[in-house]
Amino acid sequence: MVVVGIVVAIVLIVLFWFVGTYNSLVSKKKRVENAWSQIDVQLKRRHDLIPNLVNAVKGYMKYERETLEAVINARAKAVAGGSIDDRIKAEGELSGALSRLLAVFERYPELKSNEQVKQLMEELTSTENRITYARQFYNDTVMKYNTSIEMFPTNLVAKMFNFKPFVFFEAAAAEKETPKVELTF
Amino acid sequence: MVFVFLFLMATLGLVIDALFGVFPFGTILLIFIALIQILAGVSSGPALVLRSINSRKINEKSFEEKQLKNIVEELTIAAGLEKAPEVYVMEDENINAFATGFKAKKSAVCVTSGLLKHLNREETEGVIAHEISHIKNKDTLLMTTISAILGTMILVQLFAWRSLKFLLWSNRGRRSSKKKDSGVGYIIVALLILALVATLFSLIGRISIFAVSRTREYLADAKAVELTRNPKGLSGALRKIAKMRKSKGKVKNATIATAHLFISDPLKRSVNNKEGFFANLFGTHPPIHKRIALLENVPEEIVLKELQEG
Repeated sequence: MVVVGIVVAIVLIVLFWFVGTYNSLVSKKKRVENAWSQIDVQLKRRHDLIPNLVNAVKGYMKYERETLEAVINARAKAVAGGSIDDRIKAEGELSGALSRLLAVFERYPELKSNEQVKQLMEELTSTENRITYARQFYNDTVMKYNTSIEMFPTNLVAKMFNFKPFVFFEAAAAEKETPKVELTF
Repeated sequence: MVFVFLFLMATLGLVIDALFGVFPFGTILLIFIALIQILAGVSSGPALVLRSINSRKINEKSFEEKQLKNIVEELTIAAGLEKAPEVYVMEDENINAFATGFKAKKSAVCVTSGLLKHLNREETEGVIAHEISHIKNKDTLLMTTISAILGTMILVQLFAWRSLKFLLWSNRGRRSSKKKDSGVGYIIVALLILALVATLFSLIGRISIFAVSRTREYLADAKAVELTRNPKGLSGALRKIAKMRKSKGKVKNATIATAHLFISDPLKRSVNNKEGFFANLFGTHPPIHKRIALLENVPEEIVLKELQEG
């Protein structure tokens, strides 16, 4: 009788642990997916912002057509979409083109005094920060999730229900090469 | 936290009931007080604080204030909060900021107009990251709950001392009946114990509020760096705050009750800039040179010297 009681108790404890672990893994996975969609939201914000920016600075930058066209082309590619790898690459190019544009912008003092351009540049800086932070948060959540599916004894549950690790969002090579631009308003 | 508070209050009520044999009056009364305190705190918390210091919502047409809103939204993403806190500005020459709100969803960040004027984007990012960290760590809820417990302790303490005084005073001339005397004596002893315990608790409570407040400041500094991955912004801001300390007065409308919310002590009490036993017990904020030294990873003596010379 006592033995049966103990066995039932142990089975119950293991069962509860199982359910708890499974649920916590699911919620961690959802968090990663949510963090990923945040990056998407911010990238969309950047796509929407660029046409306004280009229109506002077009008149001033007669000698910088190339830089501006690079931004326009990179945006077109990024908006076109495709596989995740293609998109990551296109967004990386766009980031590179934009930071070159921001650097060029420093050379035009009359641009800085234009209120509308100033606002747009602030929006652009903010959007770039948002993308960086969204990516950083995504990577942090992925790290927590990946660690928990590899740690014992959670890994037993993870294997049983086929929880796969997520890939980190690395900065594209094009982005790494571009110099960091310090903006002071 | 709220339940811990209720539980503590109920226990205290039971103790009072046991001492006086008036079950369940004490328990019900104390739970009632606790509920009122919680409701008052939760319902009017952020709104009340924001009104009491005379702040206004930001104007998105102004460049600086729109930039501030952008920064708050950026760091909301970095911290992974669901909704960005509301942004407020208070007119004051000092550089200061605070966060308030019990839930991340219903929180607010408020900065002084002096901060908008004197800090650049990077430094503002550092300060806002510190405030967002307070929200993320639920520091306001923690501090408010501790304040509520402390408030109750002070109430009990006052009640016990008053009734003790009253009993002793009214009992002076009447020494005739021995039977009655022993009953009153029992109550007096019980009240005395209660009064002493409550006094001790409120003293410990006061010290622990300050201790929690100080640790939470360090924690928010660390979290801010984790969010921005850039210690320079916050340390630069703290340096500017330290420099302005001497020239400007107190932050208008800030009180002892709201001081622990700010990024640096708005009342500029000297205890918050000293070290030693007393300051370690009663300061709400860690000394500013210590915070800068930790952020920049240099010995604190050097920072202190630099600040005194600059």
